[in-house]
Amino acid sequence: MALFQISEPDQSPLPHAKRRAVGIDLGTTNSLVATVRDGVAVVLCDDAGRPLVPSVVRYGEHATEVGYDALAHAADDPHDTIASAKRLMGRGLADVASGQRRAYRFVDGEGVIRMATRSGAKTPIEVSAEILKTLRARAEASLGGALDGAVVTVPAYFDDAQRQATKDAATLAGVPVVRLLNEPTAAAIAYGLDNAAEGTYAVFDLGGGTFDISILRLTRGVFEVLATNGDSALGGDDFDHAIVDWARDESRLPALSAVDARRLLARAREAKELLTQHDAAPLIVSFADGARLELTLSRETFGRLTHALVAKTLVPVSRALRDAKLTASDIKGVVLVGGATRMPQIRHAVAACFGQAPLTNLDPDEVVALGAAIQANKLVGNRDGDDWLLLDVIPLSLGIETMGGLVEKIVPRNSTIPVVRAQDFTTFKDGQAAMALHVLQGEREKVSDCRSLARFELRGIPPMTAGAARIRVSFDVDADGLLSVSAREQTTGVEASIAVKPSYGLTDAEIARMLQDSFAHATDDAAARTLAETRVEAQRMVTATESALAADAALLAPQERNAIDHALAEVQRRLEGDDRDALSAAVSALNAASEGFAAKRMDRSVAQALAGKRVDAFDSR
Amino acid sequence: MAITMTESAARHVAANLRKRGKGIGLRLGVRTSGCSGLAYKLEYADEVRPEDAQFESHGVRIVVDPKSLPYLEGTQLDFSREGLNEGFKFNNPNVRDSCGCGESFNV
Amino acid sequence: MIDFSRSHFDLLGLRPGFRIDAEALERAYRDLQRRVHPDNFARASDAQKRLALQASARANEAYRTLRDPVARAEYVLALRGVDAASETDTRLPVEFLTRQLERREAAEEAKDAHDDRALGALIDDVRREAAEARDEVARLLDASDPATPMRVREWRFLVKLADDLDALRDAQI
Repeated sequence: MALFQISEPDQSPLPHAKRRAVGIDLGTTNSLVATVRDGVAVVLCDDAGRPLVPSVVRYGEHATEVGYDALAHAADDPHDTIASAKRLMGRGLADVASGQRRAYRFVDGEGVIRMATRSGAKTPIEVSAEILKTLRARAEASLGGALDGAVVTVPAYFDDAQRQATKDAATLAGVPVVRLLNEPTAAAIAYGLDNAAEGTYAVFDLGGGTFDISILRLTRGVFEVLATNGDSALGGDDFDHAIVDWARDESRLPALSAVDARRLLARAREAKELLTQHDAAPLIVSFADGARLELTLSRETFGRLTHALVAKTLVPVSRALRDAKLTASDIKGVVLVGGATRMPQIRHAVAACFGQAPLTNLDPDEVVALGAAIQANKLVGNRDGDDWLLLDVIPLSLGIETMGGLVEKIVPRNSTIPVVRAQDFTTFKDGQAAMALHVLQGEREKVSDCRSLARFELRGIPPMTAGAARIRVSFDVDADGLLSVSAREQTTGVEASIAVKPSYGLTDAEIARMLQDSFAHATDDAAARTLAETRVEAQRMVTATESALAADAALLAPQERNAIDHALAEVQRRLEGDDRDALSAAVSALNAASEGFAAKRMDRSVAQALAGKRVDAFDSR
Repeated sequence: MAITMTESAARHVAANLRKRGKGIGLRLGVRTSGCSGLAYKLEYADEVRPEDAQFESHGVRIVVDPKSLPYLEGTQLDFSREGLNEGFKFNNPNVRDSCGCGESFNV
Repeated sequence: MIDFSRSHFDLLGLRPGFRIDAEALERAYRDLQRRVHPDNFARASDAQKRLALQASARANEAYRTLRDPVARAEYVLALRGVDAASETDTRLPVEFLTRQLERREAAEEAKDAHDDRALGALIDDVRREAAEARDEVARLLDASDPATPMRVREWRFLVKLADDLDALRDAQI
C-alpha cells in the first residue's frame, strides 16, 4: 500500500514518477547494485537470479567480459583478466608490493598504474568503469530507463586519491554519482533504519581488500560518525594469500607460472570459505605440468596462519575508539560487514574485543549496497518525508608541507564534512615571487611518511620582505570527502586554486579522451549523450526552481521574480530544441538569476532552525 | 458520506501546516493517470474554491473538488509507518482494485 | 547567505559564554544541519548547492569549537578580544613546563619497564589536573580575570599531554 506525502498545491507527483536511484557497492571481490522499491531496499539480480557481480574484468579476444564470465577465465587467462582492481585505485606502481607485481604486466611509468592487456594499457580506473557499466546496465534494465542518481560507496579509510579515482571511474561508466558514501556508514543506514536503533554502534567492515572500523552515534534520525579508522590494504584477499604461502612452504613448491599461481589462489579461497562451516578443508590443485598438490588445512592451522592479520584489525579499532573518546563498553552493538567477517576467527576476535556477540542479522555482502540505495533514494528526492540525516567524517588528516620536510595539519582526521579550514603562511625570502604548495594526507609528521596528493604553485606574489606576505591556504572538503585547495595572498589578492587532482589519478583531459574512445567503439553517439545529459541537468534545474518558487516566492522582489521567470522560460524554450550549447547557456543564466533567491532561502532555513530555540537555550543552563 | 482522517493523520497534517507557515488545510482529490486509471492528490490548501466540498476532522479542514468527491466518499486518511517509510494512507471504500503499489486505482 | 560574521553562539542560538548546555548545543547543531546539509540539496541549483556546502561547513566549525571545552574557552576569550591560542603568545610558567617534562619522562620509563599501573596512575593524575584547570577557567572567565589566558594554555597543554600518554599506553599493548 502506497504512502503519500503532502505536496504543494497542484504539485502532486504522478504515480510512479519516481526518480531512478541506485546504490552501488563497488567491492574488491564482488560488486552489487541496489534500489529502493516500494519503500524497501532490494539488491538487483541478474537474469540467473545472482545478486553479486564478481569484480573481475577480462579483456578477451573478441569482447570485454565482466563478472562470472570473466572470473571463469581468471586462471587460464591471468594477464588479461584483472581482479581486485580496487586495491590499485589511486596508487602508483611504487605502492604495489613486489610479491604482487607478478600478477599482471604492469607498465613502467610515473603516475597512475597501467596494466598491459590485449586491449592496450588499462588503468584500475578503467577496469572499475567496466564493472560499473555492467551494474549500470543491470539497473537500467531493471528500473526501465536512464538513472537519475547513484550513490557509490568507498571504504571509509580511502584517501583523497582513491576517492577521486572511484568518482572518475563512475564518470567513465556514465554513472551519475550524486554522492560518494563511506561503506561502514552505508551499512549503518541499512542497519539502523531497519532496526530503529539508538545509541553508539561500531561497524566492523572487512572486505576483500580493505578494512574499516567506524564508530557512529544514532540519535533521533541523525547518523553521526564519531570516528573512523582502518587499513586500505588489508582484507580477505590477504587471508587467501596466507593460505597460498603456507601451501608453498608445506610442499616446497617451485616458482609458479601465472596460470598455476591463479589456480592455487582460487583453491585457497575455496578452502577459506569451507572453513567457515567445517573444521578442515582440502586444498587440491592440479598444475599445468600435471603435478598435483594435495593438502588438508585445519581451522586451527588457518587460525594460526592468520593470527597476525586478525590482530592487525584490532589496532585501528582501538584508535577509532580513542578518537571517539569512548571505550569498548560504550558500544551498544557491533555490526559486521563484508564477506570476510564470516571467518570464525574474526567473529571471535570482535566478540572478545567488544565483550559482546556481533550483530549479523543483515547479509554482510549486501548491507552496504542496501544502505547506499536508501541514501540515493533520499538524495534524488524520492522521499520528501524522510528526515534522517547523515554526518560523516574524513578519515585522514589533510595538510601542507612546511620547512624541513614536515607536514602542517590543516584539517584533522575525523573532522565532520563538509569542512572548510584555512591557515596563513608566509614567505621566507625577501622578494619571493612564488610559493610552492605540496598537499599531503596522513597522520605522520614527516612528508615522506604521508601520501602526496598534489603540488601547485602560487605565483605573482609582489616583492615584499621575508615574512610580510600573508598567504592564506584554504582546504575545502565537500560532502563526498573530496578536497579542493586554494591559496591567496591576502594583501594583494593574488590567487591560485586547484581541485586536487591526485598524482596517481587521471587528468580531466585523459578522462575526456577515454570517454571519446569508448564512444568510438560503442554504438552510443557522444553528441547525443552530452545533449541528453545537458537536458537532464536542465530539467533538474527547472524542477528545482519551480519548487523553490512554489514554496518561497514571497521572499522575492518583483524584479528578481521577473528575472528568474525570464531565465526559466528561456531554459524551457531551449529544452524543446536540440542546441546543447544554447541550452547549457540558458541553464547557466538561470543559475545566475536565482543565486540571490537561493541565498535568501538558505538564510531563512537557518533562521527557522533557530526559531523558538533561543528561549529554551537561554533558560536551560 | 464524509471524508475523515484518523487522529494521528490530523496531528501530522497540523504539524506540517505549522512547519510550512501557511495554508488553511488539506486538499484531497483524484485525477486520471497511472497504470490503473486514477491517482490521488494530496496537497496543502491555500484557499477554498466556491465549488469545493468541505469537511473537518480532528480540527483539520479538508477540501475536495466536486469532480473528485464521488471517488473519495467515505475515505479515511491515515498516517502510518512501514519499515523505513512513513506517510499518509488512503483507506478508500470505493476502490475495486489498485496497482501493485497502490499509487493508482480503479473504482 | 549565511552571515559569516555571526558568532558561533549566535549561529546556534546559544547565549555566549563558557558554561553551555551540552544538550542544547547538540540539539541546535542537529536542527541546523537538518536544514542546511548538502544532502538536502543534491538536486537543487548549483548556487543552492554551493550555499548548502558553505552553511553546513560553517555549522560544523561552530559545533566543533563549542563542543570542545578548551576550544570553547579560547573562543570566548577571542570574542572578548584576547587571543589565548595565538602563536605569538605561547608563554607558560617554567615550573609548569618542567613538571610536565618530568611527567613525560616518567611515562617513557614506565612504558619501557612495562609498568602499566604506573603509567595509568600518571595519566589519571594529568586528567585530574586538567579537570581542575577546567573548573578554574570557568571561574576565571566569569570574573573576566586577566590570568585566564595563561590558565587556558596550561589546561590545553594538560589535555594534550593526557592524550599523548594515552597513545603511548596503547602503543605498548
